[in-house]
Amino acid sequence: MLSFSRDHKVIAKQFLALGLAFLAVGGFMAMLIRWQMAHPGAPVPLVGHVLFGASGGIISPAAYTSLFTMHGTIMIFFAVTPILIGAFGNFCIPLMIGARDMAFPTLNALSVWTMAAATAVLTASFFVPLGAPSAGWTAYATLSTAVGTPGLGQTLWVVAIYLNGTSSVMGAVNYITTIIRERAPGMTWFRLPLTVWGFLMTSILNALFVPVLAAGMVLLFFDRVFGTQFFIAGSTIKGGGDPILYQHLFWLFGHPEVYILILPAWGIVSDLLSFFARKPAYGYRVTVGAFCAVTALSSLVYGHHMFTTGMSPLLGESFMVLTMIISVPAVVLFLNWLGTLWRGAMRLDTPMLYCLGLVFTFGVGGLTGLFLADIVADLYLHDTYFVVGHFHLIMAAAVLLAIFAGITFWFPKMFGRMMNERLGKLHFWLTIVSLNVVFGLQLVIGYAGMQRRLYDPSVYDFLRPLLPLNQLISRAGFVLGAAQLIFVFNFFWSLWRGRVAGENPWEVGTLEWTVPSPPPHHNFEELPVVHHGPHELGNPFVRARLGRDWLGQNEAPELAAPPPARSDEPEAAEPEVAS
Amino acid sequence: MPYGPPRDVSIDGHLVDGAFRYLTVATSICFAIVVLVLAIAVLFHRGRAGRVAHYTHGDRRRHLALSLGVALALFVGIDAVLAGRSLGHLETRFWAWPENAPDVVRVEVTARQWAWVFRLAGPDGRFGTRDDVVTMNELRVPVGRPVYLKLRSRDVVHSLYLPSFRTKSDAVPGSTTRLWFQAREPGSFELGCAQHCGVSHYRMRGELRVLPSEEWRLWSNRASEDGRLRYDASAEQAADAWDWDQG
Repeated sequence: MLSFSRDHKVIAKQFLALGLAFLAVGGFMAMLIRWQMAHPGAPVPLVGHVLFGASGGIISPAAYTSLFTMHGTIMIFFAVTPILIGAFGNFCIPLMIGARDMAFPTLNALSVWTMAAATAVLTASFFVPLGAPSAGWTAYATLSTAVGTPGLGQTLWVVAIYLNGTSSVMGAVNYITTIIRERAPGMTWFRLPLTVWGFLMTSILNALFVPVLAAGMVLLFFDRVFGTQFFIAGSTIKGGGDPILYQHLFWLFGHPEVYILILPAWGIVSDLLSFFARKPAYGYRVTVGAFCAVTALSSLVYGHHMFTTGMSPLLGESFMVLTMIISVPAVVLFLNWLGTLWRGAMRLDTPMLYCLGLVFTFGVGGLTGLFLADIVADLYLHDTYFVVGHFHLIMAAAVLLAIFAGITFWFPKMFGRMMNERLGKLHFWLTIVSLNVVFGLQLVIGYAGMQRRLYDPSVYDFLRPLLPLNQLISRAGFVLGAAQLIFVFNFFWSLWRGRVAGENPWEVGTLEWTVPSPPPHHNFEELPVVHHGPHELGNPFVRARLGRDWLGQNEAPELAAPPPARSDEPEAAEPEVAS
Repeated sequence: MPYGPPRDVSIDGHLVDGAFRYLTVATSICFAIVVLVLAIAVLFHRGRAGRVAHYTHGDRRRHLALSLGVALALFVGIDAVLAGRSLGHLETRFWAWPENAPDVVRVEVTARQWAWVFRLAGPDGRFGTRDDVVTMNELRVPVGRPVYLKLRSRDVVHSLYLPSFRTKSDAVPGSTTRLWFQAREPGSFELGCAQHCGVSHYRMRGELRVLPSEEWRLWSNRASEDGRLRYDASAEQAADAWDWDQG
C-alpha cells in the first residue's frame, strides 16, 4: 500500500484507504458536533477527557469552531474527493475504456502522494500553537487572515488545500487525456459507460476551477505570511483589499466543486440503475447531454452563495435565474433514471439499494436547492440549518450512497471477493433511515431559523424550543455513525472471508467485467475491440441466441442484431443505439 | 407549527413565508410523484422468476420530447413563476431602498467581534456628530416606519439576522451593505449574527425593540441628550460613524 506504484489499480486502492480513513475521522467529528448540539456544554462521554482534557471533557467554543471547520474540510477535500474521484476514477476509467493504464502513470502516482502530503500537513495543523484551523471550511476572509485567525494552524490549512488541489489537477489532466486518447478500438464516445462520462466532466471542472481555488489560497497565504492585503479591509486593521474577492474566488471554484463531486456519483448511479434494472440506460445520449449542460452551467451560478453580501441587484437576479435553469438538465437526468427503472426486471442487490436510496435523497436534496436559489426565500434561509440540511442531503447523503454503491459494486473486481449481502442490507437500511432523519430535520430547524455554526443555540430565546429536535437529530446521527461500523466490519471481513467472485458476478457487459477479478497488472492480455454500448441488457435477440440478458461490450456485433431474414416487430428493431 | 419560524412582525416577511409555502407545496407534489413511481417500480417491476425487462433505450424522439417536456413544464410552472414573483418583490420591496421616504429612520450599524453597534443620527440628522444615539446590542426603532440600515464591519464578515423580520444582510469589512425593514407591531425581538465570525459567534446576539412612535421619539431625544453630554471624540466608537451618503 505504501509503494510508489504506477499501476492505476494500486493507486486507486491507496486513494481508497486514505479517503476511508479520513471519512472515519470526519464522521467522528460530526458525532462530536452532534453531541454539542444535543447537550451543549456537557462533557463528552468516553472520549471527552482524552480529547478535551484541558476543559474537563467539555467541547470549548474554540474547539467547536475547529471541529466544524475540520469536519467540512476533511469530508469535502480529504474523504469524498479521494474516494469518489481518486479511487473510483483511477480504478474504473482504464478498465472501463479498455486501456492498460492511465496515460501518465507516474503523474498518477505523484497525484496520490501529493494528496498524502496534503493530509500530513492538514494533520499537523491540529498540533500547533494556537490550535487547529477554525475559520470554517469556506475560510472566508478576513476571518481566515491573521485578523481573525492568527497562528500556524490556519496557515497549514491553506497549504494543505493548495496541495490537495494540486493532486486533483494532476488527476484531472490525466483522466481527461486518458479518456480522450486511450479508449480501446470501437469505444466511441457514445459507447462509454456513463460513469466515465461523469469522470470526464468532473475532470474538466477540476482542471478549470481548482486553479481558481489555488489562486485564492496563494493570495490568502501571502496575506497571512507576508503581510499583503489582498483580502484585508476594515477599520480596526486598515487594509486596501476586499474580503468579497475571496468569496468570489472561493465560490467560483466552490460551486463547480459541488458538481465535481456529484457528477461521478450521477455517472455511477446512471450505470448501476441500468445494470440492476436489467434494462438499457434510458435516454443515454440525453443523460450525457444533461451532464454536459450541468457542467457548462456549474460555474455560472456560483453567486447564489453570496446573495446576502450586498451584491449588485442585477448580478444577484442573474445568478438566481441561471441557478434555476440548472433544474432543467437535472430534471431530465432524474426522469431518465426513473425511465431506466420503469418496466425493468429489478434486482435488489446491495449496490442497487444504495442507488435507489440515492435517487430518493437526491430528490429531496435537489428540490430544497430551489428554496435557496430563490433570493426572497434565501434572505431568511441563508446561513441557517436549512442550507446545512440541503447540502448534506446532496454532498453527504447522495454522494456517500454513491460511494457505498460503488464500493460494493466494484469490490469483487478490486479484491476478488464479494461483500456480504446480509450485512450490506442491514447497513443500507440503518443508514438510509437515520440519514434522512438527520438531514431532513436539519431542514426543519433551519426553517425555524437556527443559524449554522452556533456553539450553543440556547443563547437565543427563539431557538431554545428546538432543543428536543436537535437531540433527536443527534440520536439519529449516532445511529448513522454506529451503522458505519457495520460497513467497516463488512469491508474487512469480506476482504479475507468474502465469497470468491468470478469474472462477472453482476452479469453486466462493461469491459472491467471481461477480465479476471482482480485484474492482472496491465488489465487486458489483448486489447478489447468494442462493438456495443455499455448497457446492452435485456436485448431479445441476445436472449434468443445466448440465453442470457446481458451482452459484453466486446462481444460479436451480430449478437445484438435482429436475425437477417425477417424483422417483424418494429419495437424490436431498435437495439442498435451506439453504432 | 410547533417547530416553525418565529412569528413574522414585518410588513414584508409574509412574502418570504409565501415563497416558502409555494415552494413547499410545489416540490412536495413533485417529490410525491417521484416516490410513487419509485415505489411502483421497486414493488412491481422486480426481477422475479420469468419476468423479462422491457427492452428500450429510451432514445426515440418521443422519449426525449416527454422528458424535456416535463422538465420545461416544471421550469415554467415552478421556477419561472417563482423567479418572476421574486424579481418583482425584490424590485418593489426588498431592494427598493427607502432613500427618500419622509418618515425613514436611518441607522448606521457597525459589526465587530462580537457585538453590534447601532447609531442613530439624532435631531440634526447627521451621523458622526455629538447628538448621535449609539447603542450596543440593542436597536430601538419606531413601529410602522421604514428602518433603513447601512452596515459596516470593523474586523471580519458578520451577518445581521432578524428572524422575526425574515431578512438578513452581511456586514463586510471595507464596504457598506444595506438592509431595510418595517415593523408591524411593537415588541421585543431577537437579532443575531448568521455568519461564522470567530469563537464567540454564537454570543453575538442582540435585541430589536420596536416602540410605539411617541415612546420612541421621547426615548431617542433623551438618549441623544445623554449622548451629547457624554460625547468623547477620542473614543473608539466615535470613529465608527461615517457620512451617510458616502456609504
